[in-house]
Amino acid sequence: MTTSTKNPAEYVKKSSDGASRKSPRTVLVGVPSSPGFAMGTVFPIANREFSVVEETLPESRIPAEEQMFLKAVTKTAKEIAQIKEISESRAGVKDSLIFATHLMILQDPGLVNGVLDKIKKKRKNAKWAVHVVFGAYIEKFEKINSPAMRDKAADLRDLYNRLMSAMDDSGPVLEDVADEKGIVLVAHEFVPSFLMTLKPGQVNAIVMDTGGRTSHVAILARALQIPAVGGLRNVAALVKNGDTIIVDGSHGKVIINPNDDDVRKFRERQEIFERQRRELFTMRQLEPMTRDGKYIVLHANIELPTEADKVKDFGATGIGLYRSEFLFLKKDAPTQSEQESAYKHILETMAPYPVVIRTLDAGGDKLVSGISAVNESNPFMGWRSIRVCLDREDVFITQLRALLLANTQGNLRILLPMISSMSELRRAKACIEKARKQLEDEDHKPAVVKVGAMIEVPAAVMIVDKLAKEVDFFSLGTNDLIQFTLAVDRTNELITDMFQPHHPSVLSMIYQTVVAAHREGIPVAVCGEMSADPMSVLLLVGLGVDELSMTPWSVMTTKKIIRSINFEDVRDTALTVLQMDDAEAVNAFLYKKYAQTITELGISSFVGQVEK
Amino acid sequence: MITKIFTVSNKLGIHARPAGMIVDITGQARSDVSIVFDGSKANAKSILNVMMLAIPAGSEVKFEIDGEDEEIVVQQLEKLFDDHFNEEPC
Repeated sequence: MTTSTKNPAEYVKKSSDGASRKSPRTVLVGVPSSPGFAMGTVFPIANREFSVVEETLPESRIPAEEQMFLKAVTKTAKEIAQIKEISESRAGVKDSLIFATHLMILQDPGLVNGVLDKIKKKRKNAKWAVHVVFGAYIEKFEKINSPAMRDKAADLRDLYNRLMSAMDDSGPVLEDVADEKGIVLVAHEFVPSFLMTLKPGQVNAIVMDTGGRTSHVAILARALQIPAVGGLRNVAALVKNGDTIIVDGSHGKVIINPNDDDVRKFRERQEIFERQRRELFTMRQLEPMTRDGKYIVLHANIELPTEADKVKDFGATGIGLYRSEFLFLKKDAPTQSEQESAYKHILETMAPYPVVIRTLDAGGDKLVSGISAVNESNPFMGWRSIRVCLDREDVFITQLRALLLANTQGNLRILLPMISSMSELRRAKACIEKARKQLEDEDHKPAVVKVGAMIEVPAAVMIVDKLAKEVDFFSLGTNDLIQFTLAVDRTNELITDMFQPHHPSVLSMIYQTVVAAHREGIPVAVCGEMSADPMSVLLLVGLGVDELSMTPWSVMTTKKIIRSINFEDVRDTALTVLQMDDAEAVNAFLYKKYAQTITELGISSFVGQVEK
Repeated sequence: MITKIFTVSNKLGIHARPAGMIVDITGQARSDVSIVFDGSKANAKSILNVMMLAIPAGSEVKFEIDGEDEEIVVQQLEKLFDDHFNEEPC
């Protein structure tokens, strides 16, 4: 019995018999998977058909077949480990996790023993055994009612093909594409490992029948900055080798064999996109200043100490929020010296720029083993954050000592989370003094440190003028502030539409905080997700916020927004919307006034479309 | 034998990476480990089996651990679930 399996990943160039007769002009719309514009020659990647013959073997051949399979597993594992390494250096560790999963699947007892059983007990040839066992798993994965898991079928097919070609002894998989340049790859489906073997600059774009925004191929394409469109259903069947294709990865559109008009429009858009991208990168050299000269400090939020290394490349002039609890998630409780070296890495990397380190914010949605209480009925309003620290002074003092010792450059700012009363603030500050005293008694000379309060509980806003007299800065935690002000649990799917960052009550809270801070001459920062949303940026600047902190990537787009506005104008806007009575009215006003401006900034590929 | 129920508390549920983290523990254990979800029971040492259960965020999963190191395995699993697999919690 012979079975043919249609499989991707064995990348054989389609025969060019159709090249003389071009396909007609065709426009297809799919899913935007990786932004950018490209035009190029179609390089179809056909699915090679493996012929697998079922054989029942004599006893004497079984050990050889067994060896053949195990050798193929070893060879494939080596191959993947290599791709993993390349991928980690090019796309980063996080985007390369998929290959660790591949390695694990290769060692899966069900899979390996399944194949070995077929060989030893059923006396089947190794290729047939792999074919049957993988086939069964692939079929099961394709039936799973979860898109993320269905995507895993593609990973299994990738492994299947690698094992098959390893047993075929047919050399490396990607020779065919190696010499091509300026091509647009078109296939029914791509596998992640294939993408990682492409040389930089070799491929202009990627177009495929399958996949969504969250597929691994899409994530890798974005990391490699190759425009990609997925979910096109039948593009692989429609194109012929040598066709010209236009790919608009920002909007998920492709045009096969475009006419002159299409090409002209494409060139215009591509030029604009490329210019905007270049401009975004030049942004890092420029000051984040409005057209009428108001300077807004842009900082980056980081979660891992090593992220500090890249922050300056994105044009951020400091760290606006380092969430120290991520140190605590790993082990039960990090020691003072472990903490000290983590903090020191960030502080010394960033010096002389300021670094805001938030003290342990455990509890709520971030449980830290050994410290957090269990089974609270209302953890967001429970024993969390500064409350835990004040109860567990041993843990808190250890952290404060580590912070003060790490501050060799004098650029540390300590941020106290979840402050809801003056006594909490005073007790926390007393702990800082206690830690300082201890260190001084041990002959250390800790540098002076600025201490700020996180404004994220409505109670803090109500006493914000008093808090302002006793801290050096405020940092608005917009996520929690919105959640507590509107009494909307942001993790509850039933009420997600009620989580309204532009609700007048929220805007009023922010404004009151700014007014109180400026009265005392201290700055206000916003470090929640709001500081990366274009409309929110306009509002926050208008309301008088001095510093915005966001994910490093968003710094450039935010800088671009700030440089395009007049402070006087957004100030008027902010004061106008403060008088409005609901979020819908605020959003409609903002949309009417700024949607055009923001769209014209051409950052939609980076921040998403402006929503009404 | 120890039986223990955990709640999946990371936002994305048990996708490939958390499945790998589970198998990192169970694969090295001397005990037999099974995972039970939604009426299906599977060998928890197999990443494919664990992934195939497609366990979404918020679900309860049962582990059955039987063997000499069952106490250690249950502790390791507990820590993994408590830490939301080092991912964004739900």
